Amino acid sequence: MTARFPALLMARRNLSRNRLRSALAALGIVIGVLAIATLGIFGNVLQTTATSELGGIGNQVIVSPNADAGSETLSPRELREVRRVAADRGTVVPLITDGAVARGSGESTVVQLYGTDDPGALFEARDGTLPTRHRQGAIVGSAVADRLGVEVGGAVEIEGTRYRVVAVLAEGEDVTPVGPDEAVVLPEDEFAQDRYDRVVIGADSGRAAAAVAAEIRDRLNVRTERVSVFELSAVLERIGEFFALLNAFLVGLGSISLLVAGVSIFNVMLMSTAERRQEIGVLRAVGVRRADVLRTLLVEAVLLGVAGGLLGVLASVLLALGLVAYVDGIGLAALPTLANAAYLVGAFAFGVLVSLVSGAYPAWKAARERPVESLRG
Amino acid sequence: MTGPDPADGAARPERGATAATASGARPVVELRGVTKTYESGGGTVVALSEVDFAVAPGEFVAVVGPSGSGKSTMLNVLGLLDAPSEGDRYLAGRDVTGLTDAERTDARKDAVGFVFQDYHLIPTLTALENVTLPTLFDRDGAADDRARDLLDRVGLGDRLDHTPDRLSGGQKQRVAIARALINRPGVLLADEPTGNLDRATGTTILEEFRRICAAGVAVVAVTHDDLVTEYADRTVELVDGALR
Repeated sequence: MTARFPALLMARRNLSRNRLRSALAALGIVIGVLAIATLGIFGNVLQTTATSELGGIGNQVIVSPNADAGSETLSPRELREVRRVAADRGTVVPLITDGAVARGSGESTVVQLYGTDDPGALFEARDGTLPTRHRQGAIVGSAVADRLGVEVGGAVEIEGTRYRVVAVLAEGEDVTPVGPDEAVVLPEDEFAQDRYDRVVIGADSGRAAAAVAAEIRDRLNVRTERVSVFELSAVLERIGEFFALLNAFLVGLGSISLLVAGVSIFNVMLMSTAERRQEIGVLRAVGVRRADVLRTLLVEAVLLGVAGGLLGVLASVLLALGLVAYVDGIGLAALPTLANAAYLVGAFAFGVLVSLVSGAYPAWKAARERPVESLRG
Repeated sequence: MTGPDPADGAARPERGATAATASGARPVVELRGVTKTYESGGGTVVALSEVDFAVAPGEFVAVVGPSGSGKSTMLNVLGLLDAPSEGDRYLAGRDVTGLTDAERTDARKDAVGFVFQDYHLIPTLTALENVTLPTLFDRDGAADDRARDLLDRVGLGDRLDHTPDRLSGGQKQRVAIARALINRPGVLLADEPTGNLDRATGTTILEEFRRICAAGVAVVAVTHDDLVTEYADRTVELVDGALR
C-alpha cells in the first residue's frame, strides 16, 4: 500500500514523529465529529420517539358540519364528495355522534356516543372482539367500563335502553378528537337521526391527509363554509419543523467544535512544516515536485482527520447505544435509520474536510517555498 | 586551473552548443556570463559577476573562496535551485536557463545530485528509503535495487534499515552520496561535504568522490577545506562573485 502511495508512507512517518502532538490534533477532530454525530443522532431519536408517540393522528382528517352555517348533519351529497375525494387515499368512516348518560351496576357516567356499523375501522378491542358489522349491543370505552364496573357480557343502559356489552375498547394512546376511552359505540340504527354528523378519514399518510383535507375544503366550502375540516398533519408538520430546527441548532453547535479542531490542525501543520522546513527543501532539491510535496503534507492533515473521524464515529455509536440502554422509551429500532447513518457519514466527512482545509494553507506555503530559502534553514 | 584529464580526450567540443572544457569534452554543467544579484536592505548585492564555468564528465572541481564570496550561490545556480539574474546555464549540453519550476525540478532530479554539509537526510526514513527519496514519487521499480547497490558500494550494505540517528557522520554523508547518485546524474554538487567530518572520515568521503569521478560523474565541491583541493582535479577561486 505504502509502496503504491509514497505520500502515505511519508505522511505516516511524519505523524509518528511527534505522536502526542498528532494525537492531540486528532483528538480535536474526534470531539468535533463526536459532537456533530451524537447531537444529530440524539435529535433524530428524540424526533422519531416523539412522532411515534403521537402515532397515527397525523393521518386523520375529520369532517363535520359547520354549525354556524345552520347545518347539524352532513348531507348525502357531502358524504359522497368526501368519499370521492378520499378514494384510494384512505378509509372513510362516517359517524353519528351524540352525548348521553350511561348506567350500569348502579353507577352512571356521561359518555360520548358514536354510531357506526364498522367500529373496527376506528377502534381496537381490549376485551371481546369488534364485530365486522355492528348490528346489536354496545362497545364500551375502557374508562367508561372501569367507572361503571361492566365487562364483556354485562349490560349498560343508555337513554332507557339496555345493551349487552360485546367488547371493551383498548385505551387510546393517541391524542385524537375521536377518543375511545370515554365512548360507547352503538349500531347506527339505534340513533333517531339517520344522517351522519361526522366523517373520520384515516389517510394512508400525513401527506395524503393534508391533500385530502385541502381538496375537501376546495370542493365543499366553495361559496359557504359548509363543513369544518380538522386535520393534525399540519400540526405534526410544525412539530417536525421544530425538531428539524432543534437538530440544526445542535449540529451547528457540534460544527463549532469541529471548526475549533480545524484551527488546531492548522496550527499543528503550520508548526510541523516550519520545523521541517529544511527537510522539505531537501525534498525539493533532490527532485521531488512541488505537487508531490503538497500532496504529502495534505495526506498528513487528512490522516489526522480520518483517524479522528473514525474514532469520533465509533464513540458516537457507543454513546447512542448507551442512550438506548439507559433511557426507557427509546428503542434500539430508533438507531439504525438512514438519517442517523447520514449523520455519522456526514460528521466523518466534515471532519476529514475540515482537516484537509486546515492543512491546505500550511502545505501550500511549505511546498511553495523556494528550496534555496528553505535549505538555508 | 589545473591541467586536462588525460583519461578524456576523444570527445570534440560541439560548436555553438557549449564551450569547450579544459579536457575538450562536452561539459556536464556550464555557466556562461552568469551574474546573480540580490536586493538586500538598502542596495543591490552582487553574488556572482560574469561567471564562466564548465565541468567535464568525470572531473572533480573544488570551488574555494572566502565566506560570502558567492560559492553557495554558484552551486545553487549550477544545481537549478537558484536562477541567474543574467547569463545562461547548460546542463548536459541543454540550455536550462528558461525552464519552469516543474521542468527545473525534473532536470534536477535527472541530471544533478546534491550533497550537503549537514547531510540533510530525512530522519524518519531508513538509509535505503533516504537513498530512494528522489525516486519516491516515480513508481521506479528498479530504484530499490539501485539503492541497495549504491549503499553496498559506499560500504553501508549492512545498514540499509538504519535510520539516520543510528549512523555516524561519515555514514550519513555516504548515504547522502548514494542518494545523490540514485538517478545516475552527470554531476554531483557538494556544499562543504567534509565540513562536519573529522579528517580521517573526510578522506574516506573524498576517496568516494574520486571513485565516482572514475565512473564518469563530475563532482563540484564548494569548500573551505584544503583536503578537498588535494583530491580535486582543479580548484577555482571565487572572490567577490568573480572567478579567479
